[in-house]
Amino acid sequence: MTHHHRRCGGSRPTEGLKPAAANADVISGICLMRIKLRVIFVVCLLPLLPSAQRADPGGSSKLLALENSWDQAEERGDIHALDLIFDDSMIYIDEDGSLLTKAQFLDRVTKEAGTDVQWLLAPDMNVRLYGDTAVVVGRYSYRGIHQRKAHERSGRFVDTWVFKEGRWVCVVAQSTPILP
Amino acid sequence: MQMFSRALLVLACIAASAPMAWPQESQRNRILALENAWDRAVQQKDVKVVDLLMADELVYIDFDGRIMNKTQYLASIGEPQLRIEHVISGSMQVQFRGETAIVIGVYQEKGARRAKPFMRRERFVDTWIERNGLWLCVASQSTLILH
Repeated sequence: MTHHHRRCGGSRPTEGLKPAAANADVISGICLMRIKLRVIFVVCLLPLLPSAQRADPGGSSKLLALENSWDQAEERGDIHALDLIFDDSMIYIDEDGSLLTKAQFLDRVTKEAGTDVQWLLAPDMNVRLYGDTAVVVGRYSYRGIHQRKAHERSGRFVDTWVFKEGRWVCVVAQSTPILP
Repeated sequence: MQMFSRALLVLACIAASAPMAWPQESQRNRILALENAWDRAVQQKDVKVVDLLMADELVYIDFDGRIMNKTQYLASIGEPQLRIEHVISGSMQVQFRGETAIVIGVYQEKGARRAKPFMRRERFVDTWIERNGLWLCVASQSTLILH
């Protein structure tokens, strides 16, 4: 009982109630009600919490590592690794302006597995954090042999990441070739 | 007492979800209106309006892979040798992701640069953040649609 009284600090016994054991249940009921009200109040305030409190500390370095993991996974044709990097609703805009879903992107990586690919990311990759969202801007170069033809090109990308269920996942990615 | 408590809990749940559910539609319309305002301003070369829509840290990647900051982008709109006849964004979808709104759409542009006419279709992604009650674009990228 003392425990409940302490939790309900500041409460006053209701007028007319006798300090008898029978009234203790009523008082503890009021205490419980107040606790519930406080819980409800906190639940209501949760969406208003500043985003910085929910952001991932050290997000920038994790995102740079994820970008590198993405390139390595794409080079190896590692679908499982890419599956973890992308959100299920991920949208990818390719160099030719076509729009791909996650499934379509992974399918393409599978088909292109075996191509001699070499991706090079420029060191000036830039991460901008906006609470639990991050925008990564960078430049890439590509060298590869596909269907006996050598390809070489470079482009710029913007990837948008969201910190979801304790990890960063890519939700939107776009590539634009740098025209000569 | 129990009924009152349950009613309060239901109200609390509604209140908690409201910032995400109810205003989202109006925010979506607001973002789309800003995208349209941006198009009009580009067509009219109204650099002041575009300035108001962009965050200072804007990163703009043009269809040809050129990267620009806000100052460079504003200068490119006002370029005297550029004449824009027609600008329209369509097929726009707005996604609210964390703190941002992401717009994916198709942009059509017709005009002339140094008397050389052009007509382009581009797929774009614009990333907006809300700052002090104003939505500002922080990143914009376009890619030419080849097919």
